[in-house]
Amino acid sequence: MDSRTHAVQPGAGRGGAVSLAVVGVSHHTAPVEVRERMVFGPSEAANALVTLREEAEVEEAVLLSTCNRTEVYLFPNRDDRPVRSWETLLERKAGQLDRRLGDYLFERRGDRVVRHLFQVSAGLDSMVTGEAEIQGQVRDAYERATTLPVDPPMAGPVLNRLFQMALSVGGQVRAETAIGEGRASVASVAVELARKIFGSLGGKRVVILGAGQTGELIVEALSREGVKAVTVVNRTYERAVELARQVHGHAMEMDRLAEALRSADIVLSSTAAPHPVLTRPIFEEAFPRGIHRPLLVIDIALPRDVAPDLADESEVFLYNVDDLRKIVDEQVRLREGSVPAADRIIRAQSDEFRAWYASLEVVPVIRRMRGQADEWRHAELERLLRGMDHLTEGDRARVEEFSRRLVNKMLHDPTVRLRKGMDRGGGADLVDAVRFLYGLEEGELPSLDGDG
Amino acid sequence: MTHLLPLLFYIAAFILWVRCLMGGSQRRGPLAAGILTAVGVVSHGAALVQFWLQYGELPLVGFGAALSSLAFVGALALTLMLPLREMSRVAIALLPFIIVVQAVAVLLGVEPTPLNLDFEGAGFVLHVSLAFLGYQGLALAFAAGVLYLIQHHELKEKRLGRFFHFIPPLATLDRLARIGLWAGFACLTLALAFGWAWTMEHRGSLEMGDPKVVWAVLSWLVFLGVLGARFGGGRNDYRGALAAVIGFGVVICSYLVLRLTVGGEGLFL
Repeated sequence: MDSRTHAVQPGAGRGGAVSLAVVGVSHHTAPVEVRERMVFGPSEAANALVTLREEAEVEEAVLLSTCNRTEVYLFPNRDDRPVRSWETLLERKAGQLDRRLGDYLFERRGDRVVRHLFQVSAGLDSMVTGEAEIQGQVRDAYERATTLPVDPPMAGPVLNRLFQMALSVGGQVRAETAIGEGRASVASVAVELARKIFGSLGGKRVVILGAGQTGELIVEALSREGVKAVTVVNRTYERAVELARQVHGHAMEMDRLAEALRSADIVLSSTAAPHPVLTRPIFEEAFPRGIHRPLLVIDIALPRDVAPDLADESEVFLYNVDDLRKIVDEQVRLREGSVPAADRIIRAQSDEFRAWYASLEVVPVIRRMRGQADEWRHAELERLLRGMDHLTEGDRARVEEFSRRLVNKMLHDPTVRLRKGMDRGGGADLVDAVRFLYGLEEGELPSLDGDG
Repeated sequence: MTHLLPLLFYIAAFILWVRCLMGGSQRRGPLAAGILTAVGVVSHGAALVQFWLQYGELPLVGFGAALSSLAFVGALALTLMLPLREMSRVAIALLPFIIVVQAVAVLLGVEPTPLNLDFEGAGFVLHVSLAFLGYQGLALAFAAGVLYLIQHHELKEKRLGRFFHFIPPLATLDRLARIGLWAGFACLTLALAFGWAWTMEHRGSLEMGDPKVVWAVLSWLVFLGVLGARFGGGRNDYRGALAAVIGFGVVICSYLVLRLTVGGEGLFL
């Protein structure tokens, strides 16, 4: 089938409902042990789409695969062949599961697919509400389907429109609500705190006390922001050297902690020591005249590494693990407070997509309505003229012209009103009414790209 | 009416900033607020030019006229900061000052002074303009200082709420306060120098008892005090922010006291 003559069959006999389906696994339906076995890399995703086209003659499909979801969007949703074919692909990919695949799958059809994709793109369906990464992943999945060298393209007119709108909805929700505000992990909160104190982190100096895993994640996040120098201070010097090598920093013995502190902007502590490591005497040794510049201290050790009374210094911003967790919870709550506003945007955009989709139906319906009327006109004209042999050719032509004008006149207003009704979003019912009134049968509709 | 229009734009811009703070659009909100401020500045400038053309004198002497010019200088400085995205958020603390000054000007009427004064010449214009820039520099340091103290409080209380997200980083606010203080101090120092030169030339003495002179010298000393608190005994950003807020309060209070007790009728002071 040539892409230019790609026939779109909206409704597909479902009374105007959007003919879409989405099937897959997500963090709502499957644990990570299952999801991780169904992650499709870029080339695997491309191959899967080609297989769907070859095995199930899928017209349009987009495969979205991230660590939190693997789902395929299908158009049209005429029969179950594409879904069954996709399930077979998933089974092949996942291998032996402890339960049957169906227990982990979710499936949505019709209008719910539109809403689902818009929610996914806006981050409302993510594990951490409002996370931004999903927007890029949706874009990648869409572009992969668009650029796949198959004819017609996997992202045809309907999925093209759907995904473009989803990306736009994602952007609109993030711009107009607080859904993406704040940070939702300990590492990102630490970076956010540092940014709100120092502005740019370029050139800032970090001192790491101990070598915990969360500490490493925070250092990685800070490094991405451009911190200048990392000094690792550890009771075991060899371990300090090892970690310093990983983070491109340098190592120091614990007895030089005060010296390391003197030039630090950020202190990150995660030792396994049973007592405070950064005590008031060490702090006073580092800053004998008091501290006059901001110092961010993040203590993620249990028991705590940093003497709590250091927070009394006006320029010391001390956060322990409970503080950070509380902040993460607050951020998530703050984001969730924006869900109703985000939902309103999604609802409005879903309605817009629905109206656009319904408008696809009106062109073939109008054409068939006019065709039907023309057939009736021809039949009645033939019957009339059969008993009027005395008419001249000129008279016959005039009668025929009259009949054509009459039919056009009678169909003009309904046609215009039908188009207007579509634009106003009340399309599906109107189309059904016209089909019913004119007795138009449902079935193969002409190409979208034809005239009219 | 002409001086009311910019006031309405400034109020609308302030409302938009408050909406951004309360969780409204974080991209379009500041842009719209910036556009409203800029439109306000343009209409404000047009109103001041109209005053000049109508009365044949610059709006620097009469009480309402001088206040309107002072508000204009602040709004202009704010507009120039609009491209500096984070810094422009200081508008939420600076706009109320501009709005109050302009509202008083509108209420009192932006008219030339009925007194027959000899305030004229380039030296006088420079003196007043630089003084207004100096006071707006202190107002900017005050606005940045207020936001600094709020952000500092949020960070110490470990509350990452609306204020935390809206207010710029401490380092940005500190930089802004320093710019305001140094620029304001330089302008006010030059204003004093021009003022004294003008007074010596036209009056033959320094007129130390004139409330304008008293207030200008007091303001200059406040600047010195704020700079001293910030940089004396090792740089301290928090102390600097606190000093800017207190210093601005002292300057405003002393103005009000002088204005209500010994200020000249129909004059700025």
